[in-house]
Amino acid sequence: MNNYRKYFLKKGIWYILTLVIALSLNFYLPRMIKGNPVDSILSKYKSVGNTDTRKKLYETFTKEFGLDKPLPMQFLIYLKNLTKGDLGTSIMMYPKKVNAVLASALPWTVGLQLPAILCGWLLGNVLGAFAAYKRGVYDKIIFPISLFVTSFPFFIFSIILLYVLGIHFELFPIGGGYDYNLIPALNFEFFKSVIRYHTFPFLSIAIVMIGGQGIGMREMALYELNSDYVKYSKFLGIREWKIIQYVFKNAMLPQITGLGLSLGTMVSGALITELVFNYPGVGTTMFAAIRNLDYPLISGCTLIITLAVLLSNFIIEILYGIIDPRIKSAQLEDS
Amino acid sequence: MRSSLYILLKSPKFMIGVCLLFVFFAFIVIYPMINTNDPLEMVNMRFQPPSSKNILGTDGFGRDVLLEMAHGTRTSLTVGVISGLIATTVGLIIGIFSGYRGGIVDEILSSLTNVFIVIPSFIILILVSVSIQAKSVFIIAIIIGLTSWPWTARAVRAQTVSLRNRDHVNLARISGFNTVKIIVFEILPYIMSYVVMAFIIQLASGILSEASVSMLGLGPSNTISLGIMLNWALLQEAPLFNAWWTLIPPALTVALITFSFYLINLGMDEIFNPKIRS
Amino acid sequence: MSRKLLKVKNLKTYYKTRMHEKIYAVDGVSLEIEEGKVLGVAGESGCGKSTLAHSLMGLYIPPLYYSQGSIEIDGKEIIIDDKEYLRKNVLGKEISYIPQAAMNALNPTLKIRKFIEDIMAEHRPNLSKKDVYDLAAERFSNLNLSPRVLDAFPNELSGGMKQRTIIAISTILNPKILVADEPTSALDVSSQKIVMKLIKQLLEKQYIKSLIFVTHELPLLYHIADDIVIMYAGEIVERGSSDEVIFDPIHPYSKALMASMLVPEKGAKDQKLVAIPGSPPNLKSVIKGCRFADRCKYADEECRKSKVHEKILDNRIYRCKK
Repeated sequence: MNNYRKYFLKKGIWYILTLVIALSLNFYLPRMIKGNPVDSILSKYKSVGNTDTRKKLYETFTKEFGLDKPLPMQFLIYLKNLTKGDLGTSIMMYPKKVNAVLASALPWTVGLQLPAILCGWLLGNVLGAFAAYKRGVYDKIIFPISLFVTSFPFFIFSIILLYVLGIHFELFPIGGGYDYNLIPALNFEFFKSVIRYHTFPFLSIAIVMIGGQGIGMREMALYELNSDYVKYSKFLGIREWKIIQYVFKNAMLPQITGLGLSLGTMVSGALITELVFNYPGVGTTMFAAIRNLDYPLISGCTLIITLAVLLSNFIIEILYGIIDPRIKSAQLEDS
Repeated sequence: MRSSLYILLKSPKFMIGVCLLFVFFAFIVIYPMINTNDPLEMVNMRFQPPSSKNILGTDGFGRDVLLEMAHGTRTSLTVGVISGLIATTVGLIIGIFSGYRGGIVDEILSSLTNVFIVIPSFIILILVSVSIQAKSVFIIAIIIGLTSWPWTARAVRAQTVSLRNRDHVNLARISGFNTVKIIVFEILPYIMSYVVMAFIIQLASGILSEASVSMLGLGPSNTISLGIMLNWALLQEAPLFNAWWTLIPPALTVALITFSFYLINLGMDEIFNPKIRS
Repeated sequence: MSRKLLKVKNLKTYYKTRMHEKIYAVDGVSLEIEEGKVLGVAGESGCGKSTLAHSLMGLYIPPLYYSQGSIEIDGKEIIIDDKEYLRKNVLGKEISYIPQAAMNALNPTLKIRKFIEDIMAEHRPNLSKKDVYDLAAERFSNLNLSPRVLDAFPNELSGGMKQRTIIAISTILNPKILVADEPTSALDVSSQKIVMKLIKQLLEKQYIKSLIFVTHELPLLYHIADDIVIMYAGEIVERGSSDEVIFDPIHPYSKALMASMLVPEKGAKDQKLVAIPGSPPNLKSVIKGCRFADRCKYADEECRKSKVHEKILDNRIYRCKK
C-alpha cells in the first residue's frame, strides 16, 4: 500500500505545482498590456454613461487590479481574492460579479461536456474493441466511418450538424439552452426543453469522440490480440472469454492515459461548439467577454477552464492508478 | 529511402490525402490569379445566395465568399505550416535532450512538458492573444507553435529513450563522439520518419488552433482566415439568415484539409510504424 | 519398449500470407516419442521447427492453418473438431508448450499467481484459491524457484526468472509431453545452464513424461536428447539416436551441420569450421526433388528430379537418394 500512496503523493505534488504555474500564467499573461490596463479598458467605454459612472468604474477597477501596488503584490492580492472565491467584477455586466456570471454558465458547460465526452469515450472504446475482435464486416464498415468522423474537430462537425439536421431537417433546435419562453424551473417541461436543446451540441461532441476512440481502441486491441501472451494463454487452455478480458484490460490502459492527454484539446473544442449553438455555457460567455474586452471575465473563464481540466486530469490519473495493478505493487519508470 | 517513397505512393490513404491537399493548394494558388480583386471589398448586397455572379454567394459584409475562401485558406495553411515548424522543432529539441540525457535533465524537462500538456494550449493562446492588440499572422503562428510543442516533445522523448541503448549509439559513445554529434548522426536518422509524421500532425492542429482562436475573435488582424470567416458568420447571425454558404464552405474546408493531413499521416504510419506493419 | 506417448503421421501445416499464398512450413512430418525419452529437433533458423512445435499442440492460430495429418497422444487423436475438448483436456494437461521468448509470454498486468489461478480454473476447477497457491508454491520450490515469484508481476522478473517461471507454469499440470521451443535462445550462458538443469529436473521428478526439445544449438542436444531429428525446409531429413546422428550422420545436411559445430575437445583447434553455403529454399513455390540439393555437395541430377522419400536403415531414418 505504501507504493500506492507514493504514487498519489507524487502526482498530487505535481498537480499543485502545475496549478501554481497555471495561476501565474493566468495572472501575468493578460497583464502584458503596456500601460494602465484600466485606462485601456475604459477608453473603450468613452461613451459609457456619465462621468460619475466612469469614475466609479475607474475606482472599482483600480482597487481590484491593485494598480497602485507593484506587480508581485498584485499577484498576491489576486491569490488572496481567489481563495475567497472572488474573481473580480465584470465590465460588460457591471456591477455583476464574475462569479455570478460564471455560476450561471458553468452548469451548462459541465452538463454538456461531461456526459458527451464520457459517453463518446465509452461507446467509442467498446465499438473499437468489438471491431478488433470480430473483424470482417464490422471492421470494414465501422473503420472507414470512424476515420472520417474523427478527423472533424467538434465545432466543425457541429456546423455541419447545424445545417443538415437542424435547419434542413429541423430535427432539433439550433440555438440556446432551452425554449426562450420558458423560465428555468425544476419541472419536467423545462427539463424536456433542456434535453432537446442539449441534443445537437451533445451529438457534435459525442459522435466525433466515438470515432476517435473507436480507431484508437481498435488499433490497441489488435496489437494486444496478436501478442505472445495471448498465444501462450491459449496454449494452456484458457478460455476465449478470459483472454478477451485480458486484452480489453491491457488495451484500455493506454486509452485512459490518452484521454487525460487530450482532455485540454477536447474541452477547448467543446467550448467553441457552444458558440455555434449559442449554448449558454462558459464558451459563449467567453466569446461575449472577448468581444467586449471584459478582461476580468475573460480571466475568470480561462481560470475556471484550466482548473476544470487540471481537476479532470488528476481524477483520471487516480483512476489509472487504481485500474493498473502494477501501480499498486511497484513504482513504474515514467515512460 | 527511395523504396519507402515508392511504397508510400502505393498506399491508397496516403495518395488520397495528397490529392485532396493538392486540390486545395491548386485552388488557393490559381483562383486569386483569376480573380485579382481584394477579398475585403464589398461586391454585392449582404448574404446573397450563390449565383452566377458570386459562386459561393456573399457574406454578411457583402463580400464574395469564394474569393474570401481562397485567401482565407491560404492564411490558415500558412499559420499551420509556421506553427507546425516551430512546434516540431522545439518539441524535437526538448524531446531528444530529455530522452537522451535522462536523469535530472529528463525529470525537469518532462515535468515541464507535462505541465504544458495539462494546461490547455488553447487557454494560453487566449491569454496571450487578449493582451496583444495587433496580431499578425506570424505572431499568431508563433504563439500557436510555442504552445503546442509538448505533444511532439513527449513522443520524440519516448522514441529517443528506446533508441538510447542501442548498440550503434553505445558504440558512438564509447568512441568519444560528443553528445550533439551522437544525437545528429545516431539517433536522428532513426526517428526522422516519426518526426515528419509529428510535423504533419502539428500542422493540422495548428490550423485547428488558429480556427478555434479566430472563431473566438482573437485571430490575426486585418486578414482573412477560415476561422475569421466563421467568426464573422457567427457574429452576423448567419444561421438566422439561413446563409449556409457563409458557414459550410469554410467549415468543410477546415475539415477536409485536416482530413487529408490525417490520411497522409495514417498512410505513413502503416508503413513506418513497426507495430502495425503486419 | 515403453509405450509411445506421441505419434505424429504425415503432419502438414501452412501459413497463409497476406497475398493468400500458402507456405507449408511443416510439410509431411512424422515422428514418435516414447515415455521417458527426450527427442531433440534440430535445424537452421527457418527450417520449420518452431512451427512444428506449435503444430504439435493441436491448436492452430491464424495465420497458421492445419492441412492434413494426425497427432495421437497416448493413442488418442487430438486433431478434432471439438475445440472445447481440446482446450479443457489436452492443452496444458496432456501436452504443454514452452514459448521461445518468455519476454512477452506473460500478461504484463497479471500477477503470476492470478495467471495460475486462471489456468487451474479451467483444468482443476474444484481447487480453492488457497489450494492453488499452495500447489504452485510447492511446485515452484521443488524446482528451485522462490515462491515469492508468485506475487510478482512479469516486469519485476529478470529474463532468466521469467523463462523458469514459464517452465514451471507449463508443467504444473504434469503434462505427458512437454514441447520446448528454443527455451534457452534468449538467455545468457549462466541462465541457460540453470534452465537446462531445471528441464532435467522435470524429467527426474516425473513432472513430465517425455520432452521434445527444439533448438538450433546442437551442443545442447548432446547433453539432453535420447533421439534427434534433423529438420530442413519443412521436412525431416534424418532421425536416429543422439549418438548416431551426432557422430555418424548419414544425410549430407546432417553431416554439414555437425561439421559446422564447435565442440570443445582435443583436436578442436585444428578443426576447420565449415559453413553451409547458400540458404534454405523459399517454401512459397513447390519444390521438385530434394530440397537440400542446391546446397549439397553430393547432389546430382537424380536428386533434383523427384520427391525424396524416407529410407530406413537399422532403426534410423534418412531422406536422401544416396
